[in-house]
Amino acid sequence: MKSQTGLLFALPALIVLFMLIAYPVAYTGLLSVTDAKGNFSGLDNFAAVLKPKVTVQAFINTIYWVFGSIVFQVVLGTLTAILLNQSFFGRGALRAITLIPWVVPGIVAATTWAWMFHTEFGIINYMLTGTGVLQNPIGWLTNKDTVMPVLIAINVWKLFPFVAIMVLAGLQSIPNDLYEAARVDGATFWEEVWYIMLPSVRPVITAVTLLLVIWGLNSITIIYAITRGGPANKTLITPIQIFRSAFESFQFNQAAALSVIFFAVTIVVVFIYIKVLSAQPGEAK
Amino acid sequence: MGSVSIRNARKSYGALEILHGVSIDIADGEFVILVGPSGCGKSTLLRMIAGLEEISGGEIAIDGKVVNSLPPKARDIAMVFQSYALYPHMTVEQNMGFSLKLARAGKDEINQRVGKAATVLGLDPYLKRYPRHLSGGQRQRVAMGRAMVRDPKVFLFDEPLSNLDAKLRVQMRSEIKQNHQRLKTTMIYVTHDQIEAMTMADRIVVMHDGVVEQIGTPLDLYDRPANLFVAGFIGSPAMNLLGGKVADGAFIAADGTRIALDRAVPDSASATLGVRPEHFRLDPNGIPAEILTVEPTGAETQVLMRLAGHEVMGVFRERLTVGPGENLRVSPETGSLHLFDATTGQRIER
Repeated sequence: MKSQTGLLFALPALIVLFMLIAYPVAYTGLLSVTDAKGNFSGLDNFAAVLKPKVTVQAFINTIYWVFGSIVFQVVLGTLTAILLNQSFFGRGALRAITLIPWVVPGIVAATTWAWMFHTEFGIINYMLTGTGVLQNPIGWLTNKDTVMPVLIAINVWKLFPFVAIMVLAGLQSIPNDLYEAARVDGATFWEEVWYIMLPSVRPVITAVTLLLVIWGLNSITIIYAITRGGPANKTLITPIQIFRSAFESFQFNQAAALSVIFFAVTIVVVFIYIKVLSAQPGEAK
Repeated sequence: MGSVSIRNARKSYGALEILHGVSIDIADGEFVILVGPSGCGKSTLLRMIAGLEEISGGEIAIDGKVVNSLPPKARDIAMVFQSYALYPHMTVEQNMGFSLKLARAGKDEINQRVGKAATVLGLDPYLKRYPRHLSGGQRQRVAMGRAMVRDPKVFLFDEPLSNLDAKLRVQMRSEIKQNHQRLKTTMIYVTHDQIEAMTMADRIVVMHDGVVEQIGTPLDLYDRPANLFVAGFIGSPAMNLLGGKVADGAFIAADGTRIALDRAVPDSASATLGVRPEHFRLDPNGIPAEILTVEPTGAETQVLMRLAGHEVMGVFRERLTVGPGENLRVSPETGSLHLFDATTGQRIER
């Protein structure tokens, strides 16, 4: 009786969840094994999306994009948090300013950065050539060697404040006594960082990194707004390939097949990540 | 070795002065306890010795060397914090060996010194555990061990027992005292608990409002408190203080009750008489007192009485069969009366 009452209360939420999550996932699965007319087509769609080289390239680009972004987001975010945790004049203002990139809408940030990196009219080339650092302007977003690093830099700029603010919250929960004990024990500032701060905020960094992995794998806004995956597919990551395949080429079944593959790979990556990190001993809990 | 000399030490935060010129000389190997009520500046002084607070004025020397501008690690001190401040992500072993690791000591040396301290403190079975898996008493021991492995010139303790339950506190008190006797290292210990101070210290420094009220051995402070503050602070239950005057070699309480003094003192218009609770004796010819409450503890009986217009506490070895509302006659023991100038609060000697 009691369990039925509980179910009754949970039912509205469950129905919403089913409609918003379970149904689309299941329908994507169905689309991936049917053709455009709705006939069962087996693994044809999977074969069709895996055959072109662009799929492999998009997958490699995705790894490059996610891994490159996360390393710098976490390192820069953590260093910023450590800086913002020190006491100095203007700390409150700096904390607020640091948050700006995160609160700026993705599309606004992407468009602004696209203009700033513009080969002819961008302020970055203007400053670099004006000061004599560069002889000739660089086609940041058109050169195949610079475009991905630039997009990663923009993505890092956009999300490192999130890491900083989360890690800062973690740092602020460390009792002052621990720093003082470390100082009495003879620790320098960087030894305090290495032996006290970082181990204490490790659970925070773990959780934040997991979020960054998920967001990185899902991210479309910055790349799509700036390069749409170009030039020559150099910045085409799988989510954009899926998006373009579905909404530009209207190949919904192939897009669904690619989604299913991507979904499976993502689950495996996240699963391994959680397993590896939760197996670490001595984590502050 | 580990002598500590504090000369006119001052501490201020902006315009607010917390310590108003404190001077204490601590001999090598001495166990000195700084005691006083909350906010008296004792912890601040300890942190100044440790190097965790800047010294606003005066100087602090350890082993003859002025340490005012030295960082904590250069002072050759070790500190046990009230919260123990154990590193939660390190095992007991790693916690204890951390300072040696930072000093780039070899693995063998670290193991040997940690092992030795662990054996002394009975921590051998816990070396691989994390602090969260230890009881309060065990954590306290680890904090102590972390200080011991450094073999410092001076140990500093900041209320290390205040987070323990009463029974454990008594046990740890005697462990710390035994460790002091074994190590013979200078120890400076801060507490607000005067029982801890009385039972452990070689010498006690009583502080109040940022000044030193009195320095002396526990029994010195108990037997000859220098002023009203020390008289009221040291001893439990506290000393009874009666207001009145001194005339014709006797103390006259505000209500006119006359208490003969055991020594010749000059007349004074305002004086305070101090009598410790255990220095009252039942005396058929004594001062009448009305009983307010009776608290038998087995070994003794504590009686709250109204005597000479004041509520006073008496502690009697006898098992009294009296109850509230009844009357007793008591008199203070000869040679045990304390007399203070009510205006200055200072002790009046003969």
